Order: sequence, then structure tokens, then C-alpha cells
Amino acid sequence: MEITWNAIAIDPADGVAVALRDLTAGEKVIVRIGGKVETVTAREAVALGHKIALRAHAAGEPVMKYGARIAIATQAFAAGDHVHVHNIKSARARKESK
Amino acid sequence: MSKVPSEFLGYARPDGSAGTRNHVLVLSILGLANRAAERAAQALPGVLYVGTPYGRGQYGDDKTAHRDQLVGLCRNPNIAGAVIVGADRGALEGIAHLAAASGKPTRTVALDDTHEDSLDASAAAIRHAGELAHAASRLRREKFPASALFMGVECGHSDATSGLVANPVSGACVDRLVDTGGTAVVGETVEWLGAEHIVAKRAANDAVAKAIVDAVLRREQAVARTGQDLTGNNPGAENIRGGLSSIEEKSLGAIAKTGSRPIQGVLALAERPAGKGLYLMDGPSFSPESLTGFAAAGAQLMLFTTGAGNAFTNAIAPTIKITGRPDTARRLVQQIDFDASPVFEGREDIADAGARLFELVMAVASGAATWGEIHGEGAECFTRIGASM
Repeated sequence: MEITWNAIAIDPADGVAVALRDLTAGEKVIVRIGGKVETVTAREAVALGHKIALRAHAAGEPVMKYGARIAIATQAFAAGDHVHVHNIKSARARKESK
Repeated sequence: MSKVPSEFLGYARPDGSAGTRNHVLVLSILGLANRAAERAAQALPGVLYVGTPYGRGQYGDDKTAHRDQLVGLCRNPNIAGAVIVGADRGALEGIAHLAAASGKPTRTVALDDTHEDSLDASAAAIRHAGELAHAASRLRREKFPASALFMGVECGHSDATSGLVANPVSGACVDRLVDTGGTAVVGETVEWLGAEHIVAKRAANDAVAKAIVDAVLRREQAVARTGQDLTGNNPGAENIRGGLSSIEEKSLGAIAKTGSRPIQGVLALAERPAGKGLYLMDGPSFSPESLTGFAAAGAQLMLFTTGAGNAFTNAIAPTIKITGRPDTARRLVQQIDFDASPVFEGREDIADAGARLFELVMAVASGAATWGEIHGEGAECFTRIGASM
């Protein structure tokens, strides 16, 4: 089977996809989501295994992967941005938690 | 996939269990006897030494957990017999009595008996271990059904490929073992955090579901009390380099290694499962400690998934290293036992890779060496849950 995509989203509800190889800024990224394929343009480099935004997120918005919340956006980011510890944060087991 | 074997060749133990290995163990039950025990094991090629830095000044649950780990390691089916080395005869007999319940030969050496002469203690341990090794070498492997296998499942230095590939492949292998009547355990409670609602849905009953959620909440509250964020510790630096941003993200990937079968119970550290099937262990997230918890519960073989690579293996149970990351598989040729990267590259599906992994599990259970065994990576790492007196 030949791969025609270079990123994968696990669940249709996901707002981020995982890069299957190192992505470069300006590159058109083909994302597989279940049986479907979607495209997004990378706005910056995203390393293999790292996340790329599929849509814009506002600060405070939950970030979904595996169809579940993995973090909260700490700042707004756009589709195609690298999504990682610089712009999202765990909502659990934090010093702010009760 | 009918060609996948459903039995392995193991060593029959008096309690009916099957060893995948035939180790003679020299076990020190407290830090001050470690060198006496280690010296004895070093004198005899192939004899396995395990020691603990602790063993005095412990009390309450911490003392019980330490005892359970020591006794559990002696009772592990991979141990043919054990020489237990300690300081005072009273404490030593307490451990040895529980260990001997397995019916396997158990000998003791106390520094008391040698009037604190550590060299005499080593000499006595050498003679005991020599006799046990002589007897163990007379045992031959015989056929056991796959249902006689109890497998620990662990991950270390995970990255985003772990949740996509290596963990789901391990989960497929776990499903296969559970379907044949075997047993598996997954620990690292903190790595259910953020995914506990999904894991709890697979609990065999409401009490198990509650135990899962409660265990996570206890760990989360314990972390919060430290006044630190979990991020940076778990996920750790190497997880973050690999693209994992939060504990929830890591957990959602980590739980894939539990497969899809019902969860029969939540074990305490070193607790033996009461039946067959899939269990969770409420235990530490540091993999060397987690693996010792599994070995003390009786696991005879471990699966260990990694993203970036991780050489650590358990001393008593052979540990199969699995990665789904193509560059890791290429770079760490003498570390990775199972290359799941064809799944990452879209050339193999998860079920087929799981069947291929199960085949390797049966081969390793029957005696095929892992890279970690060849390189002598194995160690045991005891967990403490309290401070000393």
C-alpha cells in the first residue's frame, strides 16, 4: 500500500494531526482522518511525531486528539501551526488544580 | 493467522506455574547485606543477583510493600530457587517463610550466623547457590499452553509514534494472549490520567471501574500537593522532544497497550492477579520500578514499547523492546527486539503486527534471548512509598 498522506488525525473530532515525517514551512500537508483525506498548509516546520493544527483555536479552547481533550490552548493559533508545549497546556495534575 | 503458536516451552514449578527462564537467585533483603550477596552471585556464572538499598527503618504500608516485592521476586516462576541473604535471622526467616510457600528450594544466610563476617556469609551463599544451580540445571523445558503466561506491558521514552503504532500493536498482542486464556498487566497509574474515563468503561464491573478512577485521582492529588506541574516530569524531556505535550496526550496513547479486552481488576504493587485476563496495577510510572512490580506479581515476560529507544530491561523476566519509529529501529539494531515500523509506514496493519509480536512472545517464552538478556541489561528497582524512621 502506498502512502499518499504525511500526517494522520486519529478521530474526526480532532483539532490536530500528527506529522508522519518532518514537515517544512509552506508545505501542503495531506492529512488522513479515518477513511478521508484533508489538506492543510504548514505555517512552520513540524517534526515527525509532532502536532499540526487542523483549524484555528482560541486561547482557552480545548485541544482534541484521540477524540479526547489532551490540553487547553494557552494562546490562539491558526490552522497549520505547530501545536506543542509553547501554545497548549495540560488541564490535569497542575499546581493550579485543587 | 492460525500459524501463530499457542504453546511455549517452560520450566515446570511446584506451584503449577511455568518459568520462561530458570534463574537461581541470590537475593539480599537489605542494603547492608548487598555486597555479601553480590559477591556470592559473581562467584557463580549464570547466578542472578538482586539487592535492595532499603530494608531497615521502614514501617507501615512501606514496609509491607517492600516485603511483598522481595517475596514476589523469589516466587516469580522464572526463579528455580533462591538464596536469601539478610542481617538478623528473625527478619530473614519472615521473608524466607513467605517465599518458600511457592514450594521451590529456598535457602537463607544471615550475617548473624557468621558473627557479622561478610566473607563467611558470601562463602555460605556460594555453597547454597551452587547446590540450587546444580539442581536447576537438571530441569528441562516442557510444553505449556499460552494461557500459562503472565505478561507485563510497559512503555518508556514514548513519543507520538508510541500511541500510534507500538502501543496499539502491543495491545493487539495482549488481546491475543487474553483470548487464549493468558494474563497481562499494565501499570503506571499516572499514565491513565486523562484517559481514565475510557479505561474505566472496560472494567469488568462497577467496583473495578471505581478502583481505576480512584487510583488516578489519588495520584493526581499527590502530584498537585507537590506544588509542581506534571509536565516536564511526565511527559518528561524525551517525551516532549518526541512531540508529546501533556499527560493526557501521553495517557491516551499509553492505554492503547492495554488492548481492548475487559479489565478484571486493579492490583496493588507486587500483588498477584487472582485470575486470568487483563489487569491494571496501581503503581509507579518510572519503568524500572513498574517492571519490578510486575515481576513481583509473577510476570514471566515483559513487552516494552519505546519511541526514541530505551535499553532498560527487567532482570527476572525477559523484556521485549518494541518501537514503531523507523529511525529508532534502524539506529538501535541491538536494542529493539521487535520492529513495528512497517505499521508506521503503512506496509502492515496493527492486527498482523500484533500476531507477529505474539509469535516472538512465544519464542522468547521458550528461551530465545532478547537483546537485553544478551547484553546483561537487566535490573530490579524497588519502589518505596514512605520515608525511613
